[in-house]
Amino acid sequence: MTARLWNRKTRAALLILPLALFIGIFFVWPLGIMVKQSVLDDAVLHLLPRTTEAIAGWDRTAPPTEAMQAALIADLRAADDEKAVGDMVRRLNSAQSGYRTLMTKTLSAVAKPETGPLLTDVDKRWAQPAFWIAIADALEPMTDRYLLAAVDLERNKAGEIAGLPDGASANRTIFIRTFWIAAVVTFFCVLIGYPYALLTAASTGITRTILLTAVLLPLWTSLLVRTAAWFILLQEQGLINGFLLSMGAISSPLPLIFNRTGVVIAMTHVLLPLMVLPIYSVLLTIPTNLMPAATSLGAHPLRAFLHVLLPLSLRGVISGALLVFMTAVGYYITPALVGGAGDQMISSVIAFYSTQTANWSMASALGIVLLVITLILYVVYVQLSGRTSVNGRM
Amino acid sequence: MVDYHIRLDGVTKTFGALRVVDNLRLDIVRGEFLSLLGPSGSGKTTILMMLAGFQDATEGTIYVDGHMINDIPSHRRNMGVVFQSYALFPHMTVAQNVAFPLKMRGVGRAEIDARVNRALDMVQLAALSERRPAQLSGGQQQRVALARALVFEPGVVLMDEPLGALDKQLREQMQLDIRELHGRLGLTIVFVTHDQSEALTMSDRIAVFNKGLIEQIDTPRMIYDHPATRFVAEFIGETNLMEGEIAGREGGEALIRLDSGGMLRVRDRAEFDAGRRVLATVRPEKVELSEAPAAINSIPVAVTDSIYQGDHLRVQLQGPGQRLVARRDRRAAEWTPGAKINATFAPEDCWVIVP
Amino acid sequence: MAGKLISAVFGVLAVCFLLLPLVVILPLAFTSSQFLIYPIPSFSLRWFEELFTTPVWRDSIVNSLIIGAGTTILATVLGVLAALGLREKLNFISAPLNTVFLLPMVVPAVVLGVGMQILYAKLGLSSSYAGIIIAHTVIAIPLVIVSVANSLQGMDTRLELAAASLGAGPAATLRHVTLPLAFPGIMTGAVLAFAVSLDEVVLNIFLAGPGQRTLARQMFATLRDSISPAIAAAAFLFIAGTVLLTLLVLLARRRFSGAR
Repeated sequence: MTARLWNRKTRAALLILPLALFIGIFFVWPLGIMVKQSVLDDAVLHLLPRTTEAIAGWDRTAPPTEAMQAALIADLRAADDEKAVGDMVRRLNSAQSGYRTLMTKTLSAVAKPETGPLLTDVDKRWAQPAFWIAIADALEPMTDRYLLAAVDLERNKAGEIAGLPDGASANRTIFIRTFWIAAVVTFFCVLIGYPYALLTAASTGITRTILLTAVLLPLWTSLLVRTAAWFILLQEQGLINGFLLSMGAISSPLPLIFNRTGVVIAMTHVLLPLMVLPIYSVLLTIPTNLMPAATSLGAHPLRAFLHVLLPLSLRGVISGALLVFMTAVGYYITPALVGGAGDQMISSVIAFYSTQTANWSMASALGIVLLVITLILYVVYVQLSGRTSVNGRM
Repeated sequence: MVDYHIRLDGVTKTFGALRVVDNLRLDIVRGEFLSLLGPSGSGKTTILMMLAGFQDATEGTIYVDGHMINDIPSHRRNMGVVFQSYALFPHMTVAQNVAFPLKMRGVGRAEIDARVNRALDMVQLAALSERRPAQLSGGQQQRVALARALVFEPGVVLMDEPLGALDKQLREQMQLDIRELHGRLGLTIVFVTHDQSEALTMSDRIAVFNKGLIEQIDTPRMIYDHPATRFVAEFIGETNLMEGEIAGREGGEALIRLDSGGMLRVRDRAEFDAGRRVLATVRPEKVELSEAPAAINSIPVAVTDSIYQGDHLRVQLQGPGQRLVARRDRRAAEWTPGAKINATFAPEDCWVIVP
Repeated sequence: MAGKLISAVFGVLAVCFLLLPLVVILPLAFTSSQFLIYPIPSFSLRWFEELFTTPVWRDSIVNSLIIGAGTTILATVLGVLAALGLREKLNFISAPLNTVFLLPMVVPAVVLGVGMQILYAKLGLSSSYAGIIIAHTVIAIPLVIVSVANSLQGMDTRLELAAASLGAGPAATLRHVTLPLAFPGIMTGAVLAFAVSLDEVVLNIFLAGPGQRTLARQMFATLRDSISPAIAAAAFLFIAGTVLLTLLVLLARRRFSGAR
């Protein structure tokens, strides 16, 4: 490589560097932290540092050594974070039943200075390896329990992956609900968006301008404004109910808001442009004389459509559908504002864990599941549309 | 002593496995108009790009006035470049475009104005100085590009197919204009073109390129009359090629036995040994047609077509084992297709090359 | 004939569906009523007054402008530099970087919110203007990159070669040729960055404190709690702002294409 070429490349690299650093620190790193947070489990490790050392050489079958027992006593005496201790006990109890009572007894015993050095004096159960195995497992810094819990799974006592008992968690239900809402919205977007794109591509002059403007204007309008607008339209005293009542079509207001209907209507409206535009751009590439050519060859217009236009425009439909579905899956604002309690999507759950309970591990685990799903959809979308840019905002 | 202005020494340019320019040695004389002529992909534009400093030579050295310039960036090479599509700055007026190189050189405002006016006068565009490039015709844009490349008085002007986008009439006018400017300003011009008639019209010398190598470099007359290779013979103008071998020598002339039968007498050249395979080339305009066979160099042919082309008549012929073309004066007798006649030419009009 | 009628009816209905929500919200900004409902009893500017005099609304507007301006500057500078650099093909670097730079557009805001919340807790950026501006910049970057890269791609590269041959060094070429020609794209990118920042709610919920409450965030909160016509007034501001910005971009483009 010549010196001048080298200079040019260096200059280019220096131009990219600031953004690369910025995106590295404020985009890639947070996602990395999330991954780490979702598999990291060092709460018990922090609480029991001495026990961690003492238990290191233990073979999980022999009776607990004196050193292990003394270390645990010292750790429990030093532990002053009641919430952390409570979390630990809950966790140990879920791995080994009986731990709650054992710990209550032990904790009050170690509070007295004369206890020790043997825990077996406090309770005979401390002689059983099973209770120590639970501690040893809890000391592992890596865990898959958050990721498993994100999809309503856990490890049972044998260490196998099993479903959570019914009613213990609703993540899976919410994921299924999220996909279902996204699918229904995608369906309606195709239903309205495909004929709309056909109409736009077939029209000319002022009609085409109006049709295109009608799609682009909402895209350019704030998501909040659009959601607020649907609020006005859908509420009990809203315009739609008012109109239907005055027409005599209904005798009492329809429940259109704070339920699934409202969410689907508002999200369809918000995401419709993302469906229309990819289809429209594909339709533009199809020569306009194809349909007349097909009909001139004797094909019924419907057959001509099915055999000529539909297959050619299918790529646009699939691109649009993926784009709409991918965006819908991560939606938060619209369901939060026009949906009811039963219409919250997975984003709401993540936001709940993150902002309400500060359970970052759980929020991260759920976030990673959502991220992976979104990225898979994106990769398919890119492969399909052969480009890396997305025509729209999240 | 010949004053070499630019010297390319062993210059090679590769793109991956492709050798676009292959170990090129080329001297460009001060003040000459040199055309680089060849089909697309022959490496001629790449040479221009390397001279301008837009691309780096993979190997080899480029000298200007005896100084190596390989590592000098474009903006310090002080060469005027005229691009195929003119590359005028669309956001600047004509005057601003022409002033740009002076501004970059820190010339004072008053002097810039004076020199810009002079340059625009030279290309007869002074009246349009406040227009934007988009408001100009192709020919006017071309002249702005020329003024911009000349206003800072570079020693060398590089032109990359500058007339390619113009229609025929305008192109011929611009050819003469550029030739005239070249003579008046004493510039060294390197001119890339794929149009052989343009190269013949304008150049002091032509370098014919093929696949990254120079096939021949010489004056237009030599290139046309005495092509060095089959490629040059075929690329420059139209020609008739006849394959054969040297049969012997006789009275300062060489005898060629054609593969199609028959003997040709041509001017002798020392390197022709008996038995050597050769190609005899005759330009169509040197081919005479007659009903009676001539004494020497007479090939019996049948007329297949006779086409009136305005300034001349083009006669297609079928000889023994090969086709021939003759270009006759338009007032000459028209031969009807099917007529059996003879094609003939003088020994000095036949040039022999080694295939 | 029937087919034509059906398409016409469908077209009208679809356009209504798309535009009706935008149309109905605007008049409510001028209602004198306490409620966000039709019919409007009489017109009044009381909700705009509320917007500009109540501290929560006024502060949120100011915050939106501060954060929007910060985001626009940061995203445009970083995005333009990177888009310029990305024109040079750097082995094994350009393509992956390009993808990564566009990913913030794809990653759900909630996911990014969780990650940034944890990071900000470590870095001490929570509840700060800088933190919010950075977060908004992350999601605005793809739009800046795409619009600037588009305008750079559409540019004849020979113009830069011409500039170099005429004596302009890299910096002068950038200043006199590349940037002026990429200006419409840069302008579009900057406006998009501002729009993204203005509209962003999710990241604000995760990262902002009460001190950085933006107009969008305030609208979100109001829609959740007390539905007041101030929302319609705020929406009116949003739409007016969008129209203004769009006109600005169109004007800049018009001026430029007039120059062509």
